[in-house]
Amino acid sequence: MSFEKKVQRLEEIVRALESRDLSLEKGLKLFEEGITCLRDASAELSKAEAAVQVLRERTDGILEATDLRA
Amino acid sequence: MPDGSEVLALFDDEAVAAAQPRSEGRARRPAQQLAEPGLSPESAISVATLTLATRDIIEGAVEPLWVRGEVVGLKEHRKGHWYFTLKDENAQIRCVMWATDARRMLAAPDEGMTITALGKLTVYAGRGELQLRILRIEASGDGLWRKAFEKVHKKLEAEGLFAIERKRPLPMLPACIAVVTSTDGAALHDIVSVVRRRCPITRIVVAHAAVQGDGAAGSLVAALHRVARWGQADIVILGRGGGSREDLWAFNDERVVRAAAGMPVPVIAAIGHEVDVTLCDLAADVRAATPSAAAEAAAPQLSELLRHVKRLGNDLRDAALAQVESARERLAVAGVSVARAASHPLERRRLLIEGMAGRLHALSPLATLGRGYSVLMRDDGTPVTTIDAVAPGDQVIARLQDGMIHARVERKESLDEEISQ
Repeated sequence: MSFEKKVQRLEEIVRALESRDLSLEKGLKLFEEGITCLRDASAELSKAEAAVQVLRERTDGILEATDLRA
Repeated sequence: MPDGSEVLALFDDEAVAAAQPRSEGRARRPAQQLAEPGLSPESAISVATLTLATRDIIEGAVEPLWVRGEVVGLKEHRKGHWYFTLKDENAQIRCVMWATDARRMLAAPDEGMTITALGKLTVYAGRGELQLRILRIEASGDGLWRKAFEKVHKKLEAEGLFAIERKRPLPMLPACIAVVTSTDGAALHDIVSVVRRRCPITRIVVAHAAVQGDGAAGSLVAALHRVARWGQADIVILGRGGGSREDLWAFNDERVVRAAAGMPVPVIAAIGHEVDVTLCDLAADVRAATPSAAAEAAAPQLSELLRHVKRLGNDLRDAALAQVESARERLAVAGVSVARAASHPLERRRLLIEGMAGRLHALSPLATLGRGYSVLMRDDGTPVTTIDAVAPGDQVIARLQDGMIHARVERKESLDEEISQ
Protein backbone atom coordinates (compact mmCIF):
# COMPACT_ATOMS: atom_id res chain seq x y z
CA MET A 1 0.00 0.00 0.00
CA SER A 2 1.37 3.44 -0.85
CA PHE A 3 2.06 6.01 1.80
CA GLU A 4 -0.88 7.98 0.51
CA LYS A 5 -3.27 5.02 0.81
CA LYS A 6 -2.09 4.36 4.35
CA VAL A 7 -2.70 7.95 5.37
CA GLN A 8 -6.09 7.96 3.68
CA ARG A 9 -7.06 4.74 5.45
CA LEU A 10 -5.90 6.17 8.75
CA GLU A 11 -8.02 9.28 8.17
CA GLU A 12 -11.03 7.07 7.41
CA ILE A 13 -10.51 5.08 10.58
CA VAL A 14 -10.22 8.19 12.72
CA ARG A 15 -13.39 9.57 11.15
CA ALA A 16 -15.26 6.31 11.77
CA LEU A 17 -14.10 6.15 15.39
CA GLU A 18 -14.98 9.80 15.92
CA SER A 19 -18.33 9.83 14.23
CA ARG A 20 -20.31 7.09 15.97
CA ASP A 21 -20.44 4.44 18.63
CA LEU A 22 -19.18 1.19 17.22
CA SER A 23 -19.42 -2.28 18.61
CA LEU A 24 -16.39 -3.10 20.70
CA GLU A 25 -15.22 -5.73 18.27
CA LYS A 26 -15.51 -3.37 15.32
CA GLY A 27 -13.94 -0.49 17.24
CA LEU A 28 -11.02 -2.63 18.31
CA LYS A 29 -10.48 -3.96 14.82
CA LEU A 30 -10.40 -0.44 13.41
CA PHE A 31 -8.09 0.72 16.13
CA GLU A 32 -5.70 -2.15 15.47
CA GLU A 33 -5.72 -1.37 11.78
CA GLY A 34 -5.21 2.32 12.51
CA ILE A 35 -2.18 1.57 14.63
CA THR A 36 -0.71 -0.55 11.82
CA CYS A 37 -1.23 2.22 9.27
CA LEU A 38 0.26 4.74 11.65
CA ARG A 39 3.32 2.63 12.28
CA ASP A 40 3.89 1.93 8.57
CA ALA A 41 3.39 5.56 7.57
CA SER A 42 5.78 6.76 10.26
CA ALA A 43 8.36 4.17 9.22
CA GLU A 44 8.18 5.38 5.65
CA LEU A 45 8.85 8.95 6.71
CA SER A 46 11.90 8.02 8.72
CA LYS A 47 13.77 6.30 5.91
CA ALA A 48 17.39 7.19 5.24
CA GLU A 49 18.39 10.01 2.93
CA ALA A 50 18.21 8.82 -0.66
CA ALA A 51 20.84 9.13 -3.35
CA VAL A 52 20.87 11.03 -6.63
CA GLN A 53 21.37 8.53 -9.40
CA VAL A 54 21.57 8.32 -13.16
CA LEU A 55 19.46 5.88 -15.13
CA ARG A 56 21.57 4.26 -17.81
CA GLU A 57 20.96 1.55 -20.33
CA ARG A 58 23.71 -1.00 -20.41
CA THR A 59 24.87 -2.49 -23.68
CA ASP A 60 22.84 -5.62 -22.92
CA GLY A 61 19.71 -3.46 -22.69
CA ILE A 62 19.31 -3.69 -18.93
CA LEU A 63 18.53 -0.42 -17.18
CA GLU A 64 20.45 0.42 -14.06
CA ALA A 65 20.54 3.39 -11.72
CA THR A 66 24.00 4.32 -10.51
CA ASP A 67 25.08 7.11 -8.24
CA LEU A 68 25.50 10.36 -10.11
CA ARG A 69 28.95 11.32 -8.86
CA ALA A 70 30.34 7.80 -9.04
CA MET B 1 2.16 28.72 -66.41
CA PRO B 2 3.21 25.08 -66.73
CA ASP B 3 1.54 22.51 -64.57
CA GLY B 4 3.34 21.01 -61.60
CA SER B 5 4.60 17.88 -63.24
CA GLU B 6 6.13 19.74 -66.15
CA VAL B 7 7.88 22.09 -63.82
CA LEU B 8 9.11 19.21 -61.74
CA ALA B 9 10.43 17.34 -64.73
CA LEU B 10 12.31 20.41 -65.85
CA PHE B 11 13.68 21.04 -62.41
CA ASP B 12 14.81 17.46 -62.17
CA ASP B 13 16.71 17.87 -65.41
CA GLU B 14 18.41 20.84 -64.01
CA ALA B 15 19.25 19.03 -60.85
CA VAL B 16 21.11 16.49 -62.98
CA ALA B 17 22.95 19.22 -64.81
CA ALA B 18 23.87 20.89 -61.56
CA ALA B 19 25.26 17.65 -60.26
CA GLN B 20 27.69 17.46 -63.17
CA PRO B 21 29.80 20.56 -62.94
CA ARG B 22 31.88 19.49 -65.96
CA SER B 23 28.91 20.20 -68.19
CA GLU B 24 29.47 23.87 -67.52
CA GLY B 25 32.45 23.57 -69.78
CA ARG B 26 30.11 23.08 -72.71
CA ALA B 27 29.14 26.68 -72.40
CA ARG B 28 32.71 27.92 -72.50
CA ARG B 29 34.39 25.59 -74.95
CA PRO B 30 32.60 26.87 -78.05
CA ALA B 31 33.25 30.42 -76.95
CA GLN B 32 36.98 29.66 -76.88
CA GLN B 33 37.01 27.86 -80.22
CA LEU B 34 35.16 30.54 -82.18
CA ALA B 35 36.70 33.93 -82.22
CA GLU B 36 33.45 35.81 -82.12
CA PRO B 37 30.66 33.42 -81.22
CA GLY B 38 27.26 34.85 -81.75
CA LEU B 39 28.47 37.89 -83.61
CA SER B 40 27.67 36.59 -87.08
CA PRO B 41 25.03 34.27 -88.46
CA GLU B 42 27.78 31.68 -89.07
CA SER B 43 28.89 31.65 -85.46
CA ALA B 44 25.39 31.64 -84.04
CA ILE B 45 25.24 29.97 -80.62
CA SER B 46 22.60 27.58 -79.34
CA VAL B 47 19.96 28.53 -76.85
CA ALA B 48 21.50 26.10 -74.39
CA THR B 49 24.86 27.77 -74.77
CA LEU B 50 23.30 31.13 -74.15
CA THR B 51 21.33 30.16 -71.10
CA LEU B 52 24.03 28.03 -69.55
CA ALA B 53 26.63 30.74 -70.17
CA THR B 54 24.29 33.24 -68.56
CA ARG B 55 23.86 30.93 -65.62
CA ASP B 56 27.60 30.60 -65.19
CA ILE B 57 28.07 34.33 -65.28
CA ILE B 58 25.33 34.98 -62.77
CA GLU B 59 26.31 32.21 -60.41
CA GLY B 60 29.91 33.31 -60.48
CA ALA B 61 29.10 36.95 -59.93
CA VAL B 62 26.51 36.89 -57.16
CA GLU B 63 27.01 35.54 -53.66
CA PRO B 64 23.99 34.12 -51.82
CA LEU B 65 21.73 36.99 -50.80
CA TRP B 66 19.01 37.55 -48.24
CA VAL B 67 15.81 38.50 -50.01
CA ARG B 68 12.48 39.51 -48.52
CA GLY B 69 9.21 38.92 -50.31
CA GLU B 70 5.78 37.44 -50.29
CA VAL B 71 5.27 33.74 -51.00
CA VAL B 72 2.94 32.92 -53.88
CA GLY B 73 1.92 29.60 -55.41
CA LEU B 74 3.91 27.27 -53.22
CA LYS B 75 3.91 23.67 -54.41
CA GLU B 76 5.42 20.78 -52.51
CA HIS B 77 6.87 18.03 -54.65
CA ARG B 78 6.33 14.56 -53.29
CA LYS B 79 10.08 14.22 -52.87
CA GLY B 80 10.04 17.21 -50.57
CA HIS B 81 11.16 20.02 -52.89
CA TRP B 82 9.33 23.31 -52.64
CA TYR B 83 8.55 25.51 -55.62
CA PHE B 84 7.17 28.98 -55.23
CA THR B 85 7.41 32.58 -56.33
CA LEU B 86 8.64 35.43 -54.21
CA LYS B 87 7.07 38.71 -55.12
CA ASP B 88 6.45 42.19 -54.08
CA GLU B 89 4.39 44.93 -55.63
CA ASN B 90 6.18 45.20 -58.97
CA ALA B 91 8.46 42.22 -59.28
CA GLN B 92 8.68 38.53 -58.80
CA ILE B 93 11.19 35.71 -59.02
CA ARG B 94 10.78 31.95 -59.23
CA CYS B 95 12.23 30.04 -56.32
CA VAL B 96 13.12 26.46 -55.62
CA MET B 97 14.08 24.91 -52.31
CA TRP B 98 15.51 21.42 -52.66
CA ALA B 99 14.29 18.76 -50.26
CA THR B 100 17.63 18.60 -48.44
CA ASP B 101 17.22 22.25 -47.49
CA ALA B 102 13.44 22.20 -47.07
CA ARG B 103 13.66 19.32 -44.62
CA ARG B 104 15.48 21.49 -42.14
CA MET B 105 12.61 23.98 -42.05
CA LEU B 106 9.88 23.71 -39.39
CA ALA B 107 7.08 24.12 -41.87
CA ALA B 108 6.42 25.34 -45.36
CA PRO B 109 5.49 29.02 -45.52
CA ASP B 110 1.86 29.86 -46.11
CA GLU B 111 0.50 31.52 -49.20
CA GLY B 112 0.93 35.25 -48.83
CA MET B 113 3.38 34.95 -45.94
CA THR B 114 6.23 37.41 -46.03
CA ILE B 115 9.51 35.62 -45.57
CA THR B 116 13.18 36.47 -45.54
CA ALA B 117 15.14 33.88 -47.43
CA LEU B 118 18.78 33.23 -48.22
CA GLY B 119 19.04 32.37 -51.89
CA LYS B 120 21.60 31.77 -54.58
CA LEU B 121 20.74 33.43 -57.85
CA THR B 122 20.87 31.19 -60.91
CA VAL B 123 19.27 30.63 -64.27
CA TYR B 124 16.82 27.87 -64.93
CA ALA B 125 17.93 26.98 -68.44
CA GLY B 126 14.89 24.91 -69.22
CA ARG B 127 12.71 27.98 -69.17
CA GLY B 128 15.29 30.66 -69.55
CA GLU B 129 14.21 32.10 -66.25
CA LEU B 130 16.01 33.76 -63.44
CA GLN B 131 15.66 31.57 -60.40
CA LEU B 132 16.52 31.76 -56.74
CA ARG B 133 17.70 28.58 -55.12
CA ILE B 134 16.55 29.04 -51.51
CA LEU B 135 18.93 27.71 -48.87
CA ARG B 136 17.20 28.95 -45.73
CA ILE B 137 14.04 30.73 -44.72
CA GLU B 138 13.70 32.96 -41.73
CA ALA B 139 10.09 33.66 -41.02
CA SER B 140 9.52 37.37 -40.67
CA GLY B 141 8.05 37.74 -37.22
CA ASP B 142 7.35 34.27 -35.89
CA GLY B 143 5.03 33.06 -38.61
CA LEU B 144 6.77 29.78 -39.37
CA TRP B 145 7.28 28.87 -35.74
CA ARG B 146 3.68 29.53 -34.94
CA LYS B 147 2.58 27.58 -37.96
CA ALA B 148 4.64 24.53 -37.04
CA PHE B 149 3.50 24.77 -33.41
CA GLU B 150 -0.13 25.07 -34.40
CA LYS B 151 0.04 22.23 -36.84
CA VAL B 152 1.19 19.76 -34.17
CA HIS B 153 -1.02 21.37 -31.54
CA LYS B 154 -4.11 20.98 -33.67
CA LYS B 155 -3.36 17.36 -34.45
CA LEU B 156 -2.66 16.32 -30.87
CA GLU B 157 -5.52 18.33 -29.45
CA ALA B 158 -7.87 16.51 -31.80
CA GLU B 159 -6.58 13.28 -30.30
CA GLY B 160 -7.35 14.59 -26.83
CA LEU B 161 -3.74 14.63 -25.66
CA PHE B 162 -4.15 17.94 -23.86
CA ALA B 163 -7.53 17.16 -22.30
CA ILE B 164 -8.09 18.09 -18.66
CA GLU B 165 -9.54 14.61 -18.03
CA ARG B 166 -6.14 13.10 -18.75
CA LYS B 167 -4.44 15.03 -15.95
CA ARG B 168 -3.50 12.80 -13.05
CA PRO B 169 -2.98 13.91 -9.46
CA LEU B 170 0.53 13.78 -8.03
CA PRO B 171 1.29 11.22 -5.32
CA MET B 172 1.51 12.60 -1.79
CA LEU B 173 4.94 11.11 -1.16
CA PRO B 174 6.93 9.96 -4.20
CA ALA B 175 9.52 7.39 -3.25
CA CYS B 176 11.34 8.13 -6.51
CA ILE B 177 11.34 11.13 -8.83
CA ALA B 178 12.75 10.65 -12.33
CA VAL B 179 14.19 13.74 -13.96
CA VAL B 180 14.47 13.83 -17.74
CA THR B 181 16.92 16.59 -18.58
CA SER B 182 20.57 17.19 -19.35
CA THR B 183 22.96 16.14 -16.58
CA ASP B 184 25.00 19.21 -17.56
CA GLY B 185 22.18 21.69 -17.20
CA ALA B 186 21.30 24.10 -14.42
CA ALA B 187 17.79 22.65 -14.26
CA LEU B 188 19.03 19.41 -12.70
CA HIS B 189 20.98 21.26 -10.05
CA ASP B 190 17.91 23.33 -9.13
CA ILE B 191 15.66 20.28 -8.94
CA VAL B 192 18.10 18.27 -6.83
CA SER B 193 18.64 21.03 -4.31
CA VAL B 194 14.90 21.69 -3.86
CA VAL B 195 14.03 18.00 -3.45
CA ARG B 196 16.95 17.51 -1.03
CA ARG B 197 15.76 20.41 1.10
CA ARG B 198 12.08 19.46 1.15
CA CYS B 199 12.13 15.70 1.19
CA PRO B 200 15.57 14.10 1.51
CA ILE B 201 14.10 10.57 1.67
CA THR B 202 12.90 10.82 -1.94
CA ARG B 203 15.21 9.19 -4.45
CA ILE B 204 16.14 11.17 -7.57
CA VAL B 205 17.04 9.34 -10.74
CA VAL B 206 18.19 11.31 -13.77
CA ALA B 207 17.63 10.10 -17.30
CA HIS B 208 20.02 12.20 -19.33
CA ALA B 209 18.86 13.71 -22.61
CA ALA B 210 20.17 16.34 -24.98
CA VAL B 211 17.68 19.17 -24.53
CA GLN B 212 18.56 21.29 -27.56
CA GLY B 213 20.11 21.05 -30.97
CA ASP B 214 20.03 18.30 -33.56
CA GLY B 215 18.93 15.01 -32.09
CA ALA B 216 17.40 16.54 -28.95
CA ALA B 217 13.93 15.23 -29.78
CA GLY B 218 15.16 11.68 -30.28
CA SER B 219 17.26 11.87 -27.15
CA LEU B 220 14.32 13.13 -25.07
CA VAL B 221 12.06 10.39 -26.39
CA ALA B 222 14.68 7.75 -25.58
CA ALA B 223 15.10 9.09 -22.03
CA LEU B 224 11.34 9.12 -21.43
CA HIS B 225 11.06 5.56 -22.71
CA ARG B 226 13.94 4.53 -20.48
CA VAL B 227 12.11 5.86 -17.43
CA ALA B 228 8.84 4.22 -18.46
CA ARG B 229 10.52 0.87 -19.04
CA TRP B 230 12.43 1.08 -15.75
CA GLY B 231 9.11 1.51 -13.99
CA GLN B 232 10.30 2.59 -10.55
CA ALA B 233 9.59 6.31 -10.70
CA ASP B 234 6.44 7.74 -9.12
CA ILE B 235 6.70 11.12 -10.85
CA VAL B 236 8.62 12.37 -13.89
CA ILE B 237 9.96 15.90 -14.17
CA LEU B 238 10.63 16.80 -17.79
CA GLY B 239 12.49 20.03 -18.20
CA ARG B 240 15.33 22.35 -18.95
CA GLY B 241 16.31 25.90 -18.13
CA GLY B 242 15.50 28.97 -20.15
CA GLY B 243 16.63 29.42 -23.72
CA SER B 244 15.69 30.81 -27.09
CA ARG B 245 12.69 29.54 -28.97
CA GLU B 246 15.06 27.44 -31.08
CA ASP B 247 16.63 25.99 -27.92
CA LEU B 248 13.25 24.91 -26.56
CA TRP B 249 11.95 23.64 -29.87
CA ALA B 250 12.47 19.92 -29.23
CA PHE B 251 9.73 20.13 -26.60
CA ASN B 252 7.27 20.93 -29.39
CA ASP B 253 8.31 17.91 -31.39
CA GLU B 254 5.38 15.59 -31.90
CA ARG B 255 7.35 12.49 -30.87
CA VAL B 256 8.47 14.08 -27.61
CA VAL B 257 4.97 15.33 -26.79
CA ARG B 258 3.55 11.87 -27.43
CA ALA B 259 6.19 10.21 -25.29
CA ALA B 260 5.49 12.64 -22.44
CA ALA B 261 1.73 12.10 -22.71
CA GLY B 262 2.19 8.34 -22.75
CA MET B 263 4.14 8.09 -19.50
CA PRO B 264 2.67 5.60 -17.00
CA VAL B 265 3.15 8.00 -14.09
CA PRO B 266 2.33 11.72 -13.75
CA VAL B 267 4.61 14.12 -15.61
CA ILE B 268 5.52 17.63 -14.47
CA ALA B 269 6.80 19.81 -17.29
CA ALA B 270 9.14 22.69 -16.53
CA ILE B 271 10.52 23.99 -19.77
CA GLY B 272 12.22 27.35 -20.02
CA HIS B 273 10.67 30.31 -18.27
CA GLU B 274 7.11 31.06 -17.33
CA VAL B 275 6.36 32.77 -20.66
CA ASP B 276 7.50 29.80 -22.72
CA VAL B 277 4.68 27.36 -23.32
CA THR B 278 5.64 24.26 -25.24
CA LEU B 279 3.40 21.41 -26.31
CA CYS B 280 5.06 19.23 -23.67
CA ASP B 281 3.82 21.73 -21.07
CA LEU B 282 0.30 21.25 -22.40
CA ALA B 283 0.53 17.47 -22.49
CA ALA B 284 2.00 17.14 -18.99
CA ASP B 285 -0.14 16.39 -15.96
CA VAL B 286 1.21 19.49 -14.25
CA ARG B 287 2.94 22.49 -15.73
CA ALA B 288 5.50 24.26 -13.55
CA ALA B 289 6.90 27.70 -14.30
CA THR B 290 10.50 26.64 -13.62
CA PRO B 291 12.46 23.49 -12.78
CA SER B 292 12.57 24.60 -9.12
CA ALA B 293 8.80 24.99 -9.08
CA ALA B 294 8.47 21.52 -10.58
CA ALA B 295 10.59 20.10 -7.78
CA GLU B 296 8.42 21.87 -5.20
CA ALA B 297 5.30 20.39 -6.77
CA ALA B 298 6.83 16.91 -6.85
CA ALA B 299 8.48 16.74 -3.44
CA PRO B 300 6.35 17.24 -0.34
CA GLN B 301 7.67 19.05 2.69
CA LEU B 302 8.73 16.11 4.83
CA SER B 303 8.24 18.00 8.10
CA GLU B 304 4.63 18.70 7.15
CA LEU B 305 3.96 15.04 6.45
CA LEU B 306 5.49 14.10 9.78
CA ARG B 307 3.25 16.65 11.53
CA HIS B 308 0.22 15.34 9.69
CA VAL B 309 0.89 11.72 10.62
CA LYS B 310 1.56 12.70 14.24
CA ARG B 311 -1.74 14.59 14.35
CA LEU B 312 -3.55 11.57 12.93
CA GLY B 313 -1.96 9.42 15.64
CA ASN B 314 -3.29 11.77 18.29
CA ASP B 315 -6.72 11.81 16.68
CA LEU B 316 -6.72 8.02 16.57
CA ARG B 317 -5.89 7.81 20.23
CA ASP B 318 -8.52 10.38 21.17
CA ALA B 319 -11.20 8.71 19.08
CA ALA B 320 -10.36 5.29 20.51
CA LEU B 321 -10.51 6.71 24.03
CA ALA B 322 -13.89 8.23 23.32
CA GLN B 323 -15.11 4.89 21.97
CA VAL B 324 -13.85 3.11 25.07
CA GLU B 325 -15.48 5.74 27.24
CA SER B 326 -18.80 5.19 25.55
CA ALA B 327 -18.30 1.43 25.69
CA ARG B 328 -17.49 1.71 29.38
CA GLU B 329 -20.89 3.24 29.97
CA ARG B 330 -22.64 0.57 27.96
CA LEU B 331 -20.64 -2.19 29.59
CA ALA B 332 -21.21 -0.79 33.03
CA VAL B 333 -24.90 -1.21 32.42
CA ALA B 334 -24.84 -4.50 30.56
CA GLY B 335 -22.16 -5.92 32.82
CA VAL B 336 -24.18 -5.57 35.97
CA SER B 337 -25.66 -9.01 35.77
CA VAL B 338 -22.39 -10.67 34.86
CA ALA B 339 -20.65 -8.90 37.67
CA ARG B 340 -23.26 -10.19 40.04
CA ALA B 341 -22.59 -13.70 38.85
CA ALA B 342 -19.05 -13.49 40.08
CA SER B 343 -17.94 -14.09 43.60
CA HIS B 344 -16.51 -10.60 44.04
CA PRO B 345 -18.82 -8.45 41.95
CA LEU B 346 -16.96 -5.19 42.16
CA GLU B 347 -13.59 -6.76 41.45
CA ARG B 348 -15.07 -8.67 38.51
CA ARG B 349 -16.51 -5.59 37.02
CA ARG B 350 -13.23 -3.75 37.22
CA LEU B 351 -11.41 -6.61 35.51
CA LEU B 352 -14.04 -6.80 32.82
CA ILE B 353 -13.38 -3.26 31.83
CA GLU B 354 -9.61 -3.54 32.11
CA GLY B 355 -9.59 -6.49 29.73
CA MET B 356 -10.72 -4.35 26.87
CA ALA B 357 -8.22 -1.67 27.69
CA GLY B 358 -5.60 -4.37 27.97
CA ARG B 359 -6.05 -5.25 24.34
CA LEU B 360 -5.73 -1.64 23.33
CA HIS B 361 -2.68 -1.33 25.46
CA ALA B 362 -1.04 -4.29 23.79
CA LEU B 363 -1.45 -2.55 20.45
CA SER B 364 -0.18 0.88 21.31
CA PRO B 365 1.93 2.89 23.65
CA LEU B 366 -1.24 4.39 25.00
CA ALA B 367 -0.90 2.97 28.48
CA THR B 368 -3.70 5.05 29.89
CA LEU B 369 -6.15 2.97 27.91
CA GLY B 370 -5.37 -0.09 30.01
CA ARG B 371 -7.55 0.86 32.90
CA GLY B 372 -10.91 -0.64 33.64
CA TYR B 373 -12.07 -2.53 30.53
CA SER B 374 -12.85 -6.06 29.50
CA VAL B 375 -14.56 -7.74 26.60
CA LEU B 376 -17.42 -10.11 27.30
CA MET B 377 -17.77 -12.92 24.80
CA ARG B 378 -19.95 -15.95 24.35
CA ASP B 379 -18.13 -19.23 24.60
CA ASP B 380 -17.87 -19.32 20.79
CA GLY B 381 -15.92 -16.05 20.89
CA THR B 382 -18.60 -13.70 19.57
CA PRO B 383 -18.72 -10.50 21.58
CA VAL B 384 -21.69 -9.86 23.82
CA THR B 385 -22.93 -6.37 23.03
CA THR B 386 -26.50 -6.66 24.26
CA ILE B 387 -28.21 -8.60 27.03
CA ASP B 388 -30.37 -10.23 24.39
CA ALA B 389 -27.29 -12.16 23.23
CA VAL B 390 -27.25 -14.33 26.35
CA ALA B 391 -29.77 -16.19 28.47
CA PRO B 392 -29.53 -17.16 32.12
CA GLY B 393 -27.37 -20.25 32.47
CA ASP B 394 -25.21 -19.41 29.39
CA GLN B 395 -21.45 -19.72 29.67
CA VAL B 396 -19.64 -16.44 28.97
CA ILE B 397 -15.99 -15.46 28.80
CA ALA B 398 -14.59 -12.17 29.99
CA ARG B 399 -11.37 -11.36 28.26
CA LEU B 400 -8.90 -9.36 30.31
CA GLN B 401 -5.41 -8.10 29.53
CA ASP B 402 -3.76 -11.09 31.18
CA GLY B 403 -6.24 -13.87 30.53
CA MET B 404 -9.83 -15.05 30.49
CA ILE B 405 -12.52 -15.49 33.10
CA HIS B 406 -15.17 -18.12 32.46
CA ALA B 407 -18.52 -17.32 34.07
CA ARG B 408 -22.17 -18.17 33.80
CA VAL B 409 -25.07 -15.82 33.38
CA GLU B 410 -27.27 -15.82 36.45
CA ARG B 411 -29.87 -13.26 35.66
CA LYS B 412 -30.46 -10.43 33.20
CA GLU B 413 -31.88 -6.99 33.73
CA SER B 414 -32.47 -4.51 31.00
CA LEU B 415 -31.51 -0.91 31.51
CA ASP B 416 -35.21 -0.03 31.38
CA GLU B 417 -36.06 -2.49 34.17
CA GLU B 418 -33.18 -1.22 36.25
CA ILE B 419 -34.40 2.33 35.87
CA SER B 420 -38.00 1.38 36.60
CA GLN B 421 -37.01 -0.51 39.73
